[in-house]
Amino acid sequence: MCDCSTKLIAWLDRELEPAEMARVQQHLENCKECRASLVKYEQVSKVFDDYCKVTLTTVADRRSRRWVPILSAAAAILLLAVTAALLLRTRVQPLPATPIAIVRPPESPLTSEPRPAPVNTAHPRRMPAPVRKQKATWLPPQPAIEVAIPADSMFPPGAVPEGVNFIADVNFAPDGSARQIRLQPHLTGFERRTIQP
Amino acid sequence: MTGESMPIALPFSRLATGTGEVTSLYRELREPLLRYLVCLGLSKDEAQDVVQDTFLSLHRHLTSNGQQDNIRGWVFRVAHNQARNRQGSYHRRFAEPLDLQVDGVLDETTPERVVLEKEKFQRLAKAIATLSNSERECLLLRAAGLRYREIGETLGIPTSTVGDTVERAIRKLTEMLHV
Repeated sequence: MCDCSTKLIAWLDRELEPAEMARVQQHLENCKECRASLVKYEQVSKVFDDYCKVTLTTVADRRSRRWVPILSAAAAILLLAVTAALLLRTRVQPLPATPIAIVRPPESPLTSEPRPAPVNTAHPRRMPAPVRKQKATWLPPQPAIEVAIPADSMFPPGAVPEGVNFIADVNFAPDGSARQIRLQPHLTGFERRTIQP
Repeated sequence: MTGESMPIALPFSRLATGTGEVTSLYRELREPLLRYLVCLGLSKDEAQDVVQDTFLSLHRHLTSNGQQDNIRGWVFRVAHNQARNRQGSYHRRFAEPLDLQVDGVLDETTPERVVLEKEKFQRLAKAIATLSNSERECLLLRAAGLRYREIGETLGIPTSTVGDTVERAIRKLTEMLHV
């Protein structure tokens, strides 16, 4: 390594004493290695200066655009909030008012033929459980088979007022026998009679 | 190393007011001062505030017959100290990547050249981030056009130390950039 190699950058910056400047100048004319190093130092200095200029202009540009990501984030948060509010509102909304189930007596007194589940006429508690993730466990499961039994076939004539039907919840054991039967009366077409004087 | 200052014409008869000198220095130093402060990590707004405060201080300094030797070093020292006081943003510049807008500084702009220049600047930014604070500040002040003596005045270190630090920093960058 030459003696002058440590003074090349100071020579480039004209920071040496005049005598030292001249000595390095003379050395550079004869030393190919130092000339190559000098070219590299000049290039790096030039790139560094350019970088400083570019940084100033870039920061100025960024200042004018700095609200763009903030506004985008605010819009995204607002969208999420509105979506969440709509979802929550849907969850707490009461079930639509549907008429009480009307279980019409079939033609035959007893039938085990499964009947398709009514769409809008079913009792609210018998409607297919709405898609809920919370507070939906109190609803009974959708019965697999719904059997309608006319009251006249179970009670003597006149024992049950007209317009009263029953819905039976039947649990079956694995062997096919009825494990539990629960009857729930329903009043359909029942009108309060006016008392005649 | 002599570290001689650039000659600045200061008509001392007018230093009673100092307004003309401040205006002249403002025109000369505003741009390099802004560049230095932004490269240190200040935002453009912060840098402009610091420049404004610095020249107000310069006006008071000159009107109170303060030291007039090495006035460029004095200006940069005041600005540098104000930037240091804003510790929240000081030295932030090289910690975050910049989407550099190189088009404006190129004489001949082609898409290929812009890409190459961006890559070069990104490599340089990584290399600068590995320098010590002293090395980085010396190079930034050197890029702002200050002599070694003025850099020493700004940073409060001897002129010979500035020469050694600049040389060490340039050598490091040359090695890391594989120039």
